[in-house]
Amino acid sequence: MQLQLGDTVDGVLTVSLIGRLDTPGVDEIETPLTAHLAPRAARAMIDLSQVTFIGSGGIRMFITIARALGRRGGKLVLYSAQPLVAQVFDTTSLNTIVPVCADATAAAAAARG
Amino acid sequence: MQSRRVEIRFPGTHHGFAQGFARLLGALDAAGLEGASRYNAELVFEEIVDNIVSHGAVDGSELEVRVTLEVRPDSIILTFDDNGVPFDPRGIPDPEPPKSLEQARIGGFGVMLVRRAAHSLDYLRTAGGRNLLTVQVERAGATL
Repeated sequence: MQLQLGDTVDGVLTVSLIGRLDTPGVDEIETPLTAHLAPRAARAMIDLSQVTFIGSGGIRMFITIARALGRRGGKLVLYSAQPLVAQVFDTTSLNTIVPVCADATAAAAAARG
Repeated sequence: MQSRRVEIRFPGTHHGFAQGFARLLGALDAAGLEGASRYNAELVFEEIVDNIVSHGAVDGSELEVRVTLEVRPDSIILTFDDNGVPFDPRGIPDPEPPKSLEQARIGGFGVMLVRRAAHSLDYLRTAGGRNLLTVQVERAGATL
């Protein structure tokens, strides 16, 4: 599991996740991702186009990070999820509490909003 | 097309989970599985074995997990056999859809995902004190 930190544009941080958000993947990425986003109360958009798998641990991680950011005045937005990953968001209703956008343009608008 | 059957044994630890999962991926590769049915098979393994490793041990006892993967022309059968505490996922209700980010539960999604991924679930607590869970995942036209 890899974490790539992108540019900050108009106050919105971009992060790309690469790999599998299974239990080992979440164990690997959750602490550095939270440490990068939470202390700065980030408005952040996470590119999921290279995430090939997500299980319940990944859902739990995104809820936890989104809640931590929301409490500090930040916001978490996810975008470009592959179809099977997007189906997990739909099944768990994650997409009703965390914005899941089709592309980077929509995600940037949602993160600023 | 004949069915393929692979047995994967590992200790019910986080390290064992990783070893077992790597073997599952190898077996799915060897069977040429891809797309939604493969995703569903991986998801079922991930959620069930994570649950056994995280919650199955009694008083520090050692957990032993045996997973059998059988790939049939029309379905994938995963059988989970473990010596952990009794756990019948069929009786676990789905979590309520979250009303807000603040009120959302952060757990309870694993069994829900298994139920959506599976065509059928069968559970038996054996006389020898083992959980025997059989999960059938459809191959054709699979959706999550």
